[in-house]
Amino acid sequence: MGWSRLDRRRVLLYGPPPLDQPHPMMPEAPRTDGEPTDRELVELSQKGDGAAFARLVERHQRQLYRLALRMTGSEADANEVLQEAFLNAWQKLPAFRGESQFSSWLYRIAANSALMRLRRKRRAPDGLPDQPLELQAPKFSSEGLLDPPPYSDWSQRADEKMMSSQLGVAIEKAVQELPEDYRTVFLLKDVDGLSNEDIATSLDLTVPAVKSRLHRARLALREKLGDFFGA
Amino acid sequence: MIEHCKECVDLLGDYVEGQLPPEQEKALETHLSMCMPCITFVRTYKATRRLCRTALAKEMPSELMGALSSFLGKHVPGFSCPKSKQGQPEAVAPDSELKKG
Repeated sequence: MGWSRLDRRRVLLYGPPPLDQPHPMMPEAPRTDGEPTDRELVELSQKGDGAAFARLVERHQRQLYRLALRMTGSEADANEVLQEAFLNAWQKLPAFRGESQFSSWLYRIAANSALMRLRRKRRAPDGLPDQPLELQAPKFSSEGLLDPPPYSDWSQRADEKMMSSQLGVAIEKAVQELPEDYRTVFLLKDVDGLSNEDIATSLDLTVPAVKSRLHRARLALREKLGDFFGA
Repeated sequence: MIEHCKECVDLLGDYVEGQLPPEQEKALETHLSMCMPCITFVRTYKATRRLCRTALAKEMPSELMGALSSFLGKHVPGFSCPKSKQGQPEAVAPDSELKKG
């Protein structure tokens, strides 16, 4: 096939793309824009400074919105989750000790709020339908070989089609069809960039359980995208 | 020593995040250097993450920002969002970065 070892290394060793937000578990870097850090704004907010809290809201609302929207699947619910989460954060802020980053703490509050909302909906008579129990996954022969082998590499075509609206719709549908527990973990990790440890804490799971769900969700989505590309 | 694709696929989650112990990582890469189906599998596995992240990154509607600001304004004394920034789009990673591995 003409694959050099260098090609293989290049393909295999690229890490995940850089995130557009700092990782929640990393120490907060000093800001270069002259703006106060989260820690400084938190300290002011803890003293009752509503304007400082407003700066924190302005800074984190977009990321929290993505999380809430993807967890609930509804803009109206996301709106309510955001309101509830920020109000909770304001009320609980005096007890925040800064042992984790503020953004990480805020994520946990929002994730809990979204999960509680979903649970309430499921209990309602016209609540969400039961989630599918089976996830798509690759198939293997009795010898443990990929069967059928994925000879069609659609990853390059995926780059060309990156911005296609059809692909966007297919991805949205595939993610929405994941069982809720898997979807939540996948979104928190691969879209929002939380650490496995933060996700485990937020969702009351073990880290191995987070990893397992994440991997199975990725495998299922990969199968769906393979179907989209005709692989 | 990894002989079968199934073992390779089972380890991929930790592998793409650089969390495999060195010995397992080496064994997996040895398998990958000999198994074209698994190379294709790894590439499409990584593309799945990248595509989902790109597709699911969405802007928060400005009306929703306004609604949130009004709500918090009623409950948080002294709350006032800096209006000049409310409608500004958030900076996201450029396509060139998202198209990597």
